[in-house]
Order: sequence, then structure tokens, then C-alpha cells
Amino acid sequence: MIVVVGLSHHTAPIGVREAIALPAEAVPVLLRELCETSVVGEALIVSTCNRVELVAAGKSIDADLTRVAEACAAALCQRAPKIREHLYRHAGGAAVRHLFRVAASLDSLVLGEPQILGQLKQAYDVAREERALGPILNRTLPRAIRVAKRVRTETSIGSGQVSVPSVAVDLARQIFGEFTGRFVMLVGSGEMAETAAKQLRGAGARVVVVGRNLERAEEVARSVDGEGRPWSALGATLAEADVVITSTSATGYVIDYDTVAAARKKRRGQSQFLIDLAVPRDIDPRVEKLDGVYLYNVDDLTAQVKESLSARSREAERAEAIVVNEALGYDRWADAEQATPTIIALRARIRGALDVELSRSLRGRLKHLGEEDRGALLKMVEASVNRVLHGPTLRLRQAATARSPEALSLDQLAAALGELFDLSQGGAMADDADMPVDDEPLPSGPETSQIEAEPPAAGAAATPSKRRAHSEAP
Amino acid sequence: MPELAPVAFYLGVVAYSAASTVFFLELWRRDPEKQAGVFGPRLLMLGAAIHAVHVVAASVLSRVCPVESLHFGLSLTALGAVVAYLLLRGRFRLHALGAIVAPLALTFLIGAQFVSTERADAELPRGLLAFHIAANLIGLGVFLVAGGSSALYVLVERRLRQKKLGLSPASSRLPPLEALDRAAHRLLLAGFPLLTLGVVTGAVFTQRVGEAGNVAVFRTVLGYATWGLLATVLLLRQIIGLRGRRAAYGTLAGVACVLLVLLVYAVRGGAA
Repeated sequence: MIVVVGLSHHTAPIGVREAIALPAEAVPVLLRELCETSVVGEALIVSTCNRVELVAAGKSIDADLTRVAEACAAALCQRAPKIREHLYRHAGGAAVRHLFRVAASLDSLVLGEPQILGQLKQAYDVAREERALGPILNRTLPRAIRVAKRVRTETSIGSGQVSVPSVAVDLARQIFGEFTGRFVMLVGSGEMAETAAKQLRGAGARVVVVGRNLERAEEVARSVDGEGRPWSALGATLAEADVVITSTSATGYVIDYDTVAAARKKRRGQSQFLIDLAVPRDIDPRVEKLDGVYLYNVDDLTAQVKESLSARSREAERAEAIVVNEALGYDRWADAEQATPTIIALRARIRGALDVELSRSLRGRLKHLGEEDRGALLKMVEASVNRVLHGPTLRLRQAATARSPEALSLDQLAAALGELFDLSQGGAMADDADMPVDDEPLPSGPETSQIEAEPPAAGAAATPSKRRAHSEAP
Repeated sequence: MPELAPVAFYLGVVAYSAASTVFFLELWRRDPEKQAGVFGPRLLMLGAAIHAVHVVAASVLSRVCPVESLHFGLSLTALGAVVAYLLLRGRFRLHALGAIVAPLALTFLIGAQFVSTERADAELPRGLLAFHIAANLIGLGVFLVAGGSSALYVLVERRLRQKKLGLSPASSRLPPLEALDRAAHRLLLAGFPLLTLGVVTGAVFTQRVGEAGNVAVFRTVLGYATWGLLATVLLLRQIIGLRGRRAAYGTLAGVACVLLVLLVYAVRGGAA
């Protein structure tokens, strides 16, 4: 029913991903291109730094998914020919499972990261704005989003932080709550320390960088939107700082017990969070004994990262089970949908025949009926059609989802109905052709309009022979 | 009116129980991105409203002013604690404290049923007695929330020191340490004048009634000691900047003493 064609960090190195990276303005263009092809009826593009994926469906429910996948691959390769060997293609049930896994962040570089769901929602919005969605993706995407939410609610896949700077910032938040007006001191430089300082700055804290080399300290300060101070200001700055991040290459402690104890007195009992990211350590570990002083070194933070990652991996198994369960539910729905063309054709056939007879009667023996009575008669016909077709509709949908070899298949039932009711002709019954056609069309009720708006595809009603692919397309 | 009081009581129990359950479930909720829910506080608010109806209806029924009886006093204490929590919750990000306040309110509401509804002391002037009990009970309600904040502070601080904070989904739901410390401080500041009024009026009563029993002496001394302890905590906070764990322990000790005074009072039925 749907295909997913694309590449991700699993299949393509960054150089290849860069080649196909789609800027925001290119997405609507590609969507339009895809929908203008003869095979793609619906499309959506997920473009992040770790993946570019086209999710597409054919023009009809029983479209040839291999052709749809090929059209998507061609559209991508046209932009960057070298990506072809890195592309994966999923079709049918496999595509649905893949989409659900992506939404649930089970396919992400960092397991359980929450951004992908937002990116998927954004992709859905863009596709909707471009009118690139249809009945299939409009059912599939909300379902994928629901699966992702279910996974996040029922498992701990998103719990804990999975990077040292994020863990440090999270702990600081546990101590101080908000960072607005808080003072952060960065001693030395280092990628992790600067990332943590940037995150704190972004959350509203004021950052001061202290270094032995003032020029270098000011350079780092500029990169974190902070202020540089000389080494001599270390003690005074320490007394002001709520959060201290150290990452120097010094061989001994640059912040000793006495310095922290003195700073603590000046701070009048206010909490202080010290993050020592250096090896060898920059801060004397004895400061941990001071009331209101909390010291975490790189091992403490790494242990939390490992714990979070391991917890997420454990939760991933439960999340996979949810995805499989939801994908099975989707399969059942999609299988039942296979019966839809036959149901629509059968309904149109019976309704059409009744309309012809009703029209005759209303021009003949029943012509004395007023508008109100005619309306009541139309409603009665509609209700009769519903009642007569209720059983066959259920039976067809059951046949579409039945897995038992003994049960009649949808193909068999559809073929029988097609033969009995001559559904392949789409309109009137064969013997209607012999009848005089002197009738004016009946006023259309809401359901009549719906039927007319969705004519069954030729042949599809009689035999839905193209069953959905349940394995990855070649 | 006769049916209103028991109906309100049972509805109050249901609302507080539901609020307690919601707060506990939220604490262990798995999705870390989810914001603090609104159901817990709303249920607590509903419980407080029903609780107030119960107190008014039951006191009218038994013809006792709510603040003149220990039964209603206990009930009002819980109500005071809930109101204090609801007022401070947003400002200090104390959402998780609901997991302490809601069961506490439930316990006091049910516990009050086992205490007599009779007036505390028929011989004392009603106005002054009402003032004395009201000051003590509202103060106690405020102190209970302060105690809850401090207890949570000790818990969070211990996990932080043991490097265990952040290892469970509940960690992200706990209020920040600084917010807990600040809230406990503000609540002590709010409750202390009420406690002072309670102690002063209590001293007047002791003199007027001429109490001389051992329990009465113990209760009076304990009252003064509690007042002294809490005054010391506040003074140290002001003078030397006492904060954090030590301040939390001080607050907890003070609140424990306040509860002990109440217990002594309850055991004696307010008669001595």
C-alpha cells in the first residue's frame, strides 16, 4: 500500500547524506514532481541530517508498489546519482513497520531521541500544504505518530540523557530549576565543556570563561556568547558561580578544597554545582564533603549516560513489540481496505438498478407523490441498500483479512460477485440495456454522490488480484 | 443539611484519594517530555472545596465553631496545607510535592473523624480560643507543607550526592533543590507569626485556667521549645545564610515538634 525509499545513517556515510540533503524549500518542489508522475498518488518527505526518506503511495489502492518505489528512487537519484547504491526500498507491510520504527525513534542514531517525531509531523504538515496526501497517507501518518506517542508513553525509551553535556545540564536543572540570572564559570576549554556552557547560555545563564591565557579565554567566551576573565579572577569568579565547568589540561587540581570552602562562605550557603570534565581531574574531590557543593566528574556523568543508553536499549525491545503489534493492526485495516473497490462497485450496481426502477415508478403509478413522499421513498431505498449490503460488506472485509486456507478468499468472492452482478461494467446491469432509457436521473442523496465520486477502477472491483506486497521490494 | 456533611466527607475522601493516585502516577510516568499534569492539582482543588463544605456543614450540624474543636481543627489544618500548596505550586515548581500534600490531607480528613467534635474548653472566652486555635492550625497547615518541602529536599539532595539523580523517570519530576529550599523558607516565614500568636494566646490561657498538670506543663514547654527551634532556624538563615540540608533538617525537626504538640493536645482531648 505504501513504499519508503531513502537512505539514512545506517546505509549512507555523511558524505553521501550531504549530497542528497534537501533544504526546506526543495521539499515542496520534489513533492510536486513526485505527484505529477503517472504512478505516485501521494507522497511525503522526511528530511533530517540523518535521513532522507520518501514515503509514497500509488494512484490507487492496488497500485504496483514496485513502480511507485522506482519512481521515488528515480526522483532522488536525479538529484544525486551517487546515492543509488545506498538507497533502501521498503514496500507494503515492511514499509509500514519501517515508518513506525522511524516515528518511534527506534531507527534513530540516538535511540529514543524525541526530535524525529517533530520532524515527521513537520513533514506531514508540508505534504498536507502541498496537497500531496491522499486517503492512504492520511491514515498511515497519523497512525505512525500515534505509535510513536504510545511507545513514549508505555516505555522509558526517552528517559535519561545520552550525552555528557546534556546530563550535566540536566543535573544543574535539578539543582537550580531555571537558569535565568544564574552564573556559569567555564575554566579551560574543551568540546564537552563548551557544549554544556552553550546549552546553559541558551537557557538564560550568564557565562564567564576563565583561562590562564586570557586571549584564548576570550576566544572561547566569544564562541559561547560569554565574557573572558584572567586566571587571577578565578577565586572571585568562583564565589559568584552557581555552575562551574572545568576542562583544563593541568596535571594537578586547579580548584582546591580551600578555594571552594572560601567561595562557599561568600555564597552564604547557596548551592554550587561543580562539573569536572578534565582528566586528570581539575577539582579536589574532597570539596564534595562541603554542604551545598555538588561535584560530578566525567566518570560520574559517563556512568549516567551509559545507564540511560542501556535503559533505552532494554526499553527498545518493548517498543519493538508495540511497533509490531501496531503494524499488524495496520495490516488488518489495509487488508480490509482491499475489499473496498468491490464493495463500492456492488453498492453502485444495486443502487443504480433500484434508482432506475424507482425513477420509472415515480414517472408512472407514483407520479402523484409530493416532494416529501418522494424524499421518504429515496430514504427507504437508501436504507434498504444498506440493510441488504451490510452482511456482504462484512463478509468481504472478513475475507480480505482471513488467513485460513479453508476460507473463501477475497479474490474468489470478488470474482463471484463480479460474475453474478456483472460488476466489470461498472454501471447498469446487462439486462438494463434492453430496457427503454427514458428516465431522468434521480436527485442524488449524499451517499449517491459519494458513490459517483468514487467509481470503481475497471477490473479492480471484480478481482482485486494485486494483493499488497508484504516484503521489501527488490 | 444532615446528609450534606457525610456526603461531602466521602466525596472529599474520593477526591483526595484520586489526587494522591494521580500525583504518584505522574511521579513514575515514563515520558520525560510530558509536562506536569493538571489533573492532580484540579482534583486537589476539588477535594479542598468539598472538604470546606464538609467542615461548614458538619460544624453547623454539631453547633460547634470549626476553630473551637480539635476535630474540625485537624480538618482545617489539612485544608490549610492544601491551600498553601496550591498557592505556592506554580511559583516554586513544587508540583511533585502534591504527592505528599494530597495523602496528608486525606489522612487528616479521615483522622479527624476519630476525634470528638466537642468544644475544646467551655470555660475559656470563645473569641480568644477561636483565635488561638485558628492561628495554631493555619500555622500547622503551612508548616506541614514546609516539612513536605524539606523532606523532599533531603531526598533529592541525597540522590544527588549518591550520583543517582537522573537515573529514574521520577527524577525529572522532582522539584529543583533551590525551589524546595526557597519554598520551605517562605512557608516558615509565613507560619512563624501564626505560631507566635498561638504560643502567646496559649500562655494567656494557661495563666487563666491555672493549669498545673504535668501534661499541660510538658505541652507548654514543648510549645516554647518548638517556637525557639523554628525561630533559630529562621535566624540562622538570615544571619549566616543557613541553607540546604541543614536548614531542611532544622525545618523537619521544628515541624515534628509542632506535630508532637498537636499529638499531646489530641491525646488529652484538649482538656488539660
